[in-house]
Amino acid sequence: MLVQILIYVLLGAAALFCLFPLLMALMNSFKTNRELLTNVMSFPTSLSIDNYLRTFDKMNYLRSLGNTVFLAAGGVCLIVLFSAMAGWKICRTKTRLSSFLFGLFVFSMLIPFSSIMIPLFRVVLFLHIKNSLVGLVFVYAGLGVSMAIFLYHGFVKSIPYELEESAIIDGCSSIQVFFYIIFPMLKPITAAVCITNALWIWNDFLLPLIVISDNKKYTLLLSTNTLFGQYSNDWTAILSSLILAAIPVIIFYAFLQKQILHGIADGAVKG
Amino acid sequence: MLLFTLPALIVYAVFKLFPAISGIYYSMTNWNGLNKGFDMVGLDNFKEILSDKYYWQSILFTLKYVLVMIIVANLIALLLAVTIESRKRAKGLFRTVFFMPNMISMIIGGYMWMFIFTKVLYYMADNWGMTFFDKSWIGDPKYAFIAIIIVASWGSVGYLMIFYMAALQGVPMNLKEAASLDGANAWQTFRHVVLPLIQNGVTICVFWTLNAGFQVFDVVYALTGGGPGRATQTAAINIYEEAFRGNVRYGYATAKSTVLFVIVMLFTAIQLRLMKRKEQEL
Repeated sequence: MLVQILIYVLLGAAALFCLFPLLMALMNSFKTNRELLTNVMSFPTSLSIDNYLRTFDKMNYLRSLGNTVFLAAGGVCLIVLFSAMAGWKICRTKTRLSSFLFGLFVFSMLIPFSSIMIPLFRVVLFLHIKNSLVGLVFVYAGLGVSMAIFLYHGFVKSIPYELEESAIIDGCSSIQVFFYIIFPMLKPITAAVCITNALWIWNDFLLPLIVISDNKKYTLLLSTNTLFGQYSNDWTAILSSLILAAIPVIIFYAFLQKQILHGIADGAVKG
Repeated sequence: MLLFTLPALIVYAVFKLFPAISGIYYSMTNWNGLNKGFDMVGLDNFKEILSDKYYWQSILFTLKYVLVMIIVANLIALLLAVTIESRKRAKGLFRTVFFMPNMISMIIGGYMWMFIFTKVLYYMADNWGMTFFDKSWIGDPKYAFIAIIIVASWGSVGYLMIFYMAALQGVPMNLKEAASLDGANAWQTFRHVVLPLIQNGVTICVFWTLNAGFQVFDVVYALTGGGPGRATQTAAINIYEEAFRGNVRYGYATAKSTVLFVIVMLFTAIQLRLMKRKEQEL
């Protein structure tokens, strides 16, 4: 019994450790700078949102948020569409070409991003998509498809072929077969692909840092980073901007945590 | 066939395959951001790398980071997974909380921790008598490394924990019961029954930690920026700075990234070989 209680106490301490930075940032983000410097562990004397108003403008919050949403949503849509089609077709075609393609996609999963970032930067310059959010969506698609194809390929294997066969006999074209029969059946793995890729793109910092220099196109992380550089010692400004930048994912997590945790586990077990 | 694979193939070829291949070519040029054209310089860049002290220092630092993360993050994640998995109450709650840091970018998490390391810990040392916190967490290379490990573990343990929990759920209950009926204690049951059965999960997690570790950028960028001096510079930061700060020597930086790729391949191959052999033994 005592051991049981001790285990819960330790788990509670670990949980507190996880939340500690968030709680400290939240608590201090309402203070004035003088209040913060006197005591970082006290509760704020008033819930003043002055810091938030200040950083909300400074970060161009809504625009940064919009840019980030656009990148994540666009990237995920392209990755899902492209990879589901390719993963299905590669799995169903038994030719040397299709196994070569599969190998090609899978092999590159091992290439670290830092190894290709400079030549990739050159491609971006060449295509004139530096500072283009639409262009960046396609870059994300290019970087994300191999993993997703691998997952879809594995999932399609478990779907019986007879369904497609009878649809083809009934006169469906491949496109109809894909959109009406296959794609709906891929739903569980599509959820996993959506979640892992949305989180990756949302939290990706290095690629936008290289490709985006126009502050109208900044993502949330780039805006936060710039603000951190400008206000190096103004902790109330920094902390409120960090909270603002973290809020969207926390809300996302609060509403979809079951799906997110399942998606992560699914992506792992099959990967 | 082509109609369905073409869209994926095109974006993949343009943004991943081509950069990967052309990187080998650029690493043999003196391409930089200042001059318009560039020339082939053969293997000069690689020769220069051999004597580039800071580069090897960053590679060594990255290796140290990868090794410590593989051990620390995986042990904590496995411990948490086993502990939560055997709870009757509040299982979901703990899982939710422990995974939470993974939702937040390490840039944001890193800056929040920067506040803890530079303000909160000093407050605790001064006012609560916790003098062991009174360290230069960001300014002293030794403690900066510990700080980086703490923050990186904070940000990845929850993710690994989810993998381990999925693996643990695959262990049949009756096997564990049989072991304890035969008189095995909790540790023996874990060591000889559970661990062999989740070996596959361990392989995946170590593989993931290794790969993510070699690319580590965000957490170090946010916490120390590679400093003090270049003491906590990782390979990715070293390459980034070579290419996009100061010298803009793209060709030379690409050569560095090619070397990094070879090193990552080597270690991945070794890791997979070792763990596959282990799996077969068990």
